[in-house]
Amino acid sequence: MTRKMVLVDTSKCTGCKACSVACKEWNELPAEKTKLITSYQTHKDFTTKTWTYMTFLEKYEKQSMNWLMRKAQCFHCADPACLKACSSNAIAKTESGFVVIDQEKCTGCGYCVENCPFGVPKVDPIKKKAYKCTGCIERVENNLLPACVYTCQPGALSFGERDAMLGQAKDRLAKVQKTHPKAQLYGEKEMGGTTFLYLLLDSPEVYGLPINPTIPLSLTLWKDVIRPVGGIAVGGAAAAVVIGVFANLFRGNYRQSDEKVENDSGDSDRKKGGKD
Amino acid sequence: MVVNLETKKIPAGRIAEDKVLRFSVGERISHWVHAISFFVLLFTGLGVLSVFFQPAMSIIGGVQVAMVIHRVSAIVFVVVVGMMFFIGNPRYHWRWLKFVFNFTKSDWQHVSAFPKEFFGGHGNYPAPDKFNGGEKINSLITILGTVFITLSGVVMWFASSFPPALVRWAYPVHDLSMILMTAAVIGHMYLGLLHPDSRAAMSGMINGYVSTKFARAHHGDWLERLEQEQKAYDDSEIINHRLDNRGKGSSF
Repeated sequence: MTRKMVLVDTSKCTGCKACSVACKEWNELPAEKTKLITSYQTHKDFTTKTWTYMTFLEKYEKQSMNWLMRKAQCFHCADPACLKACSSNAIAKTESGFVVIDQEKCTGCGYCVENCPFGVPKVDPIKKKAYKCTGCIERVENNLLPACVYTCQPGALSFGERDAMLGQAKDRLAKVQKTHPKAQLYGEKEMGGTTFLYLLLDSPEVYGLPINPTIPLSLTLWKDVIRPVGGIAVGGAAAAVVIGVFANLFRGNYRQSDEKVENDSGDSDRKKGGKD
Repeated sequence: MVVNLETKKIPAGRIAEDKVLRFSVGERISHWVHAISFFVLLFTGLGVLSVFFQPAMSIIGGVQVAMVIHRVSAIVFVVVVGMMFFIGNPRYHWRWLKFVFNFTKSDWQHVSAFPKEFFGGHGNYPAPDKFNGGEKINSLITILGTVFITLSGVVMWFASSFPPALVRWAYPVHDLSMILMTAAVIGHMYLGLLHPDSRAAMSGMINGYVSTKFARAHHGDWLERLEQEQKAYDDSEIINHRLDNRGKGSSF
């Protein structure tokens, strides 16, 4: 299957939240008690049972309000930090470009939670498993649209081949920039190119998104430097011990040392470590 | 200073005929609590860290159980050994710190000559004090590794209470500390159990005593100092308590 893409065109979004309802329904996620966070926003963050939610932002500029809405969900990075951080090989990337967690393998260590630059995965403290948006991979692989895309009424979400969708996104951006000069695409290059790509009406930081999301340096250092070098160090120590045992056997030092315990008067040992 | 500390309170009885007390009861408790909890932590930690070791966790009932054991033994690892620096007769612990953080030129000479000896040859270096250069390095790795693995472990345990950037750095720090201590313990166990010359030191961690013969060969400066101190003490005993015979000084 070729690389797919979901374009989240925030210029068309009306904030109806049907996408988050569709997500709950298809993925059989129970509703959670919510409260008003800001504007029309009712979810503060992802939870193990809420994989997508709407953010609302009222931005006042030149005596007028810009109502910025964004559907938040996993970006499904081409170069996912969560996958690199996972200690139990529970996170995989599909050919279609979706990043999925295998809860059978997941141990709930939470390394993905801490390393995701967008704070997407969440660990269920009772089940000890990490959860996040699956991109409705089971639908996609059966030629259906992801539930959120399928349900979106104003056409803010569209799904297709990545190359074609990217062209579509750029055409749309040119149009939107006439009314929103700060509008930009987010996810074309970020994290190797994300499968959920945004057309934002303002700069990413206004939406609370990192301007230049990367795999944390600490993670690269850990997995690509400390791990292999450390393996060599521990292996080297073990090899030195094995060689040491054989070298001592070969030199007959074991027999000699047993005799020493029996017969030596002590002074002859002074040659070792003593000032000659 | 070191000399004074060593002779305070138990001036006599460190050298008893052909053996000499090297490690106090407290030191031995610390060592073995630390050693056992280290291996429990290593085993359970590897189960969380790597898929290669994960199947082995079925011995103790799975990764989730391993995580609980990891945290319980972490408390033992830190709290018990930490407490030994303050309860009982902690002088030995502090003096050990003083020794290992005082890395001298002769320690370097020992370290550079030691590889030969490690593989069964003979290295030439000045007679070490109570701890030689290699032992000091092993101690330093253990002390610094313990401090860093503990601090990073606390951050990882209570990850939600710390900023994500700090938690992200805690992982490589925890891993690196583990790697250094594991490499060190492999060499440490070889020298304590398998190396024909240095394994004579093992009894020091079991009943506290090493043979004076071993002490003279491997820690000449230390034994010499103890002998002088004991002699000085015995002499003063004779002057102060003329009615007491010499035997008393060294028999308790």
